[in-house]
Amino acid sequence: MSGESSKGFFERVRGARDSAMDDLAKVTLAWTSSNSYQAINAAISRPALLVTAILRRASESAMADLLAKLNMPSREEVLALSQRLTRIEMVLDDVGAGMDQLRGGSSRQQRPSARQREGNGNGRPGAGPALKEG
Amino acid sequence: MPASEASAAPGLLSRLSTIAANLVKVTTTKALIGQTPRQAIWTLNKATLFRYTPVLPAEKRHPVPLLLVFALMNKSSILDLRPGNSFVEFLLQKGYDVYLLDWGTPGPEDAQTDLGDYVLEYLPRAIRKLKSFSGSEQFNLLGWCIGAMLSTLYSSLRPAEGPKSLILLTAPLDFTQPDKISLAKMTEERYFDVDRVLQAYGNMPAGLIDYGAKMLKPVENFIGGYTRLFDNLDNTKVVDSWHAMNTWVSDAIPLAGAAYRQFILDFYRGNKLVKGTLNVRGERVDLNQLRASVLNVIGTDDHITPPCQSESILELVGSTDKELLRLPGGHIGLMVGSGASKGAWPKIDDWLSKRSA
Repeated sequence: MSGESSKGFFERVRGARDSAMDDLAKVTLAWTSSNSYQAINAAISRPALLVTAILRRASESAMADLLAKLNMPSREEVLALSQRLTRIEMVLDDVGAGMDQLRGGSSRQQRPSARQREGNGNGRPGAGPALKEG
Repeated sequence: MPASEASAAPGLLSRLSTIAANLVKVTTTKALIGQTPRQAIWTLNKATLFRYTPVLPAEKRHPVPLLLVFALMNKSSILDLRPGNSFVEFLLQKGYDVYLLDWGTPGPEDAQTDLGDYVLEYLPRAIRKLKSFSGSEQFNLLGWCIGAMLSTLYSSLRPAEGPKSLILLTAPLDFTQPDKISLAKMTEERYFDVDRVLQAYGNMPAGLIDYGAKMLKPVENFIGGYTRLFDNLDNTKVVDSWHAMNTWVSDAIPLAGAAYRQFILDFYRGNKLVKGTLNVRGERVDLNQLRASVLNVIGTDDHITPPCQSESILELVGSTDKELLRLPGGHIGLMVGSGASKGAWPKIDDWLSKRSA
């Protein structure tokens, strides 16, 4: 009996909570969709972004000086190198694909597709050019 | 102690220990997500093309492979959340040869990566690899959210090499009605200075994207999820499901600065794709050039990409075989959870299986 009444009590509390949350959700949704909310958000974020940009620039400049003194490559140089490596990777990818194409029909017979490799029905991957396990 | 209370005590103890164990689990660990076996067959910079290990023998599989492309700002593991609630697992069981293009996490060196790079460098190369690996010249393409946008751009720009069929899930393509799009208001020019954000951070930080998305429904996102967890702490099945989703949600990734800038200026503010004025690396994107069969899936309760952002798109594409599918559900809920396994997944399979022969 006492178990049932306490269960009923908790159900009522939960109902009241859910109802209050529904009301709160409507109010906050109306607020976050309003122009005034967006204006306040913008007013707060503008100086914050400005400070972040200034701090970022200052720290990068200090780091660049330090790295130059240590005779090490700067952040910009490392980033540029990374971008260049990606371009080289793209060229190598094209070269690899071109070589695959050059091998033509005969090599296609030598290198069966994934579907042909798995034709034995066991549904397991063949010895494809795996790079790494995901 | 009365007999009834004595017999209830072990049950109460077991319940309390379940609650404690679940509480420790969700507060101290990350759920294991994206567990379906797969093999990486191609990489470029941070992007990786995976092929999922088929579960059916080759003769029982569809001959046309399927490529999945997810958004740029969240991890693609949502497509393979956990065993028993995984779209990838479902597709494998239905006999599809499933590939996934994972964009990876951009670093500071990728701040200049733009939509042109994704659409005209990464996607075509991944597709070239897919074709040579699978031995099939044809393939089907499924894009979700920004992945759907990138897939649409690629299929319009490269119709000859493009997919046989294209499935768009919650695709943000049409920005004609900004008053109905909450994110459009948030990113209006007078409130949001995209250049200043990128000046400060280089890439668009994951935290800001996550905050912006959560503020579209603040109570549901900041409080609602936790009250649902609290109410079900003694139900391990519900807790595991919550834990998996929470692990995925809290693992957002930044968006490459240049791509984000284009997304805001050309799409949210310029609506250039629908107006026919969008240029990707100097090539005009003409949706009328898109010839693949198209299935456009819309979540009727999607507050991130509301229906008005893609329901008009079928009128603009050049495809003759096209279908609009409206399903109950939100931006993510449409494809995850018990509703998805009985709703969106079988419907997509029904449409796709006829176009995978």
